Amino acid sequence: MIKVGIPRALSYYQYYPGWKTFFEKLGAEVVISSLTNKAILNFGVSRAVADTCLPVKIFLGHVISLIGKCDYVFVPAITSLGEKTYNCSKIIGLPNMVRALIPECPTILDPEINLEKGRYYLYRNIYKLGRYFSSNPVKFKKAVEEAWEGNLAYRRKMSHEKITAIQAIDRIYGEDCAPAPSLDPPEELTVAVVGHPYVVYDDYINHRLIFRLQSMGAKVLVPEMVPEGELAIAARKLVGETHWSFEDEIIGAGEYYLEEKVDGIINLAVFGCGPDSMMVSFVQHRAKELKIPFLPLSLDEHSSEGALLTRLEAFLDMVKRRKKI
Amino acid sequence: MRVGIPQWGNVYIPVKAMVHRLGAGDNDLIIPPPMTQKTLDLGVRYSPTEACLPYKLTLGSLIETCELGADTLVQARGTGICRLGYYAKGQEQMLHDLGYNAQFLTIDVSHHKLLSIMKLIKNVSNDAPWHKVISAFSFGMSKLFALDKIEKVVWKTRAVEIEKGMANRIYREAIKAIDEAMERKEVKNITKEYIDRLNRVSKNSKTDPLKVGIVGEIYVVIEPFANMDIEVELGKLGVEIERTITLSRWVKYSLFLNYLGISEWRKVHRLANPYIDHDVGGDGWESVGEKVLYARNGYDGVMHLAPFTCMPEIVAQNIMPSTKEDIPVLAVICDEQQSKQGMLTRLEAFVDLLEFRRRRGNGRRI
Repeated sequence: MIKVGIPRALSYYQYYPGWKTFFEKLGAEVVISSLTNKAILNFGVSRAVADTCLPVKIFLGHVISLIGKCDYVFVPAITSLGEKTYNCSKIIGLPNMVRALIPECPTILDPEINLEKGRYYLYRNIYKLGRYFSSNPVKFKKAVEEAWEGNLAYRRKMSHEKITAIQAIDRIYGEDCAPAPSLDPPEELTVAVVGHPYVVYDDYINHRLIFRLQSMGAKVLVPEMVPEGELAIAARKLVGETHWSFEDEIIGAGEYYLEEKVDGIINLAVFGCGPDSMMVSFVQHRAKELKIPFLPLSLDEHSSEGALLTRLEAFLDMVKRRKKI
Repeated sequence: MRVGIPQWGNVYIPVKAMVHRLGAGDNDLIIPPPMTQKTLDLGVRYSPTEACLPYKLTLGSLIETCELGADTLVQARGTGICRLGYYAKGQEQMLHDLGYNAQFLTIDVSHHKLLSIMKLIKNVSNDAPWHKVISAFSFGMSKLFALDKIEKVVWKTRAVEIEKGMANRIYREAIKAIDEAMERKEVKNITKEYIDRLNRVSKNSKTDPLKVGIVGEIYVVIEPFANMDIEVELGKLGVEIERTITLSRWVKYSLFLNYLGISEWRKVHRLANPYIDHDVGGDGWESVGEKVLYARNGYDGVMHLAPFTCMPEIVAQNIMPSTKEDIPVLAVICDEQQSKQGMLTRLEAFVDLLEFRRRRGNGRRI
């Protein structure tokens, strides 16, 4: 059986159920890399130019950890997911960077997903991808449809059940859920965490931020819990015409939760993230207007757990004092 | 209406020409003051920490023009991949917070570029008739093309002139003369005159200067303050430079020939294709292709200029070492922390390396 490796990084958190369905319907076995750990980070850091952002370094590390475990590695170039909006350069150039930096990598499956170039271009790229597994176009079509449905169901699951992407993936595939933190101190605060899914859900990068917030007695909200369509509306309200495909998860979620009057809002960004450096200032500005506490956290491979904890505790104390709990 | 534009290389000269042609007075356009440490400090102070250098510099420059009384500012906008599209949004908000109530006019640099520039000129000139707008635009462009034409000769002269600094002096005079020219014919004559003067500069004909290609992000490549006069410094070290990234080229292709299907970068893209096969925003794709181009054309080295955390250039930087064509690349990352001495040391070391390589036969073992 053909084995397809999917690195557990970047777009994994948004599309994994869809991708898995697609490859399995085409008769391939899906292998995912393990959770991010120090070895993976070091692999990535050793290959990339120093200025590269942390998530991309981690992605490279995941690809390296898949070498020898699979026949193909799936690294899509997700260029555009809507009219006149684009993704970050590093995500668009991801397959090329992987090829350049990891010459020993297994064959890379690198469909370009670019809705700006129209449907036909997308179909052609999916067809090219499917050719690796079968010669029957009807089969691809079915696989794509099911994958699409699977992914929509996954998105809906997160927004309806108000769960994080990790919990949703666990529930869909019946794996062991991460142990829910004890709620001894009852949830008295609501804190929204806005950021890219690959930062918010990668426990190695963010030092288990969600778990820590929960165990400090906060109810954590993430962008994926917002009902469908609301994010885009909120983003348009704050900055007008959107520019990047992932503006929803920062500006949209920020604006949505600020309007919902959460007690505090935490932005998780990584050092050197180009889009974040621009977008966060809008959310921060808005939070200032609405007088809601806002904590920007910038993470990189050197960020220390202790320092993060201190800042979180101080932030939550401040929020509590404001609420007079 | 008092229009302010951010400082960027010689852009103010064609803009000034256009404004004058449309019959506006000296007060209608605020010429941005040359960039200084103060501009940078202002920009850094009021920008998000991790914003890129062009953002900070243009913001600093806009604040300075506001101080001089500008009430209408021009900035780029677009739906491209890099941060450029966000400049106007962020800077408008910041200037508003600072209490400058300037109106922002934007140039769309991703779709309908020419139309958006023309509309902007029409708008600024109180609805002048179209034929006047077009004539003003073409007069401005004639100055832009003349400046770039002279600059190309300056690059060659700087490397071999005997009396160092001569080419720069002539270039500065040329900029002034072109700025003052009132007629298209005059611009043409001045161009010819100064190119002649540059060619007559006494040169050291014995040496064959090292040739270095400059690639990278367009703002830092064109604005000397952003790259700390790297071209002049290379000239002092006796290096001849070449770059295809000029504003006149952008105007020629992006505004006109692209619509006719003649792509600005088709050749460069073809060369980059084995390594990167689609646009990654900004100038990332072109940087990789140009590296290959310079390597094939027998250049001695490549300087890669990029602002710190520039997304497209990081992609290019990651890919560049894997190309088959071998040529030394010096990446110069520009940000507010850079120091001129540090850069000079690196330049000298790089030039030494290139000389050594050339003596050995450009990487080929003899």
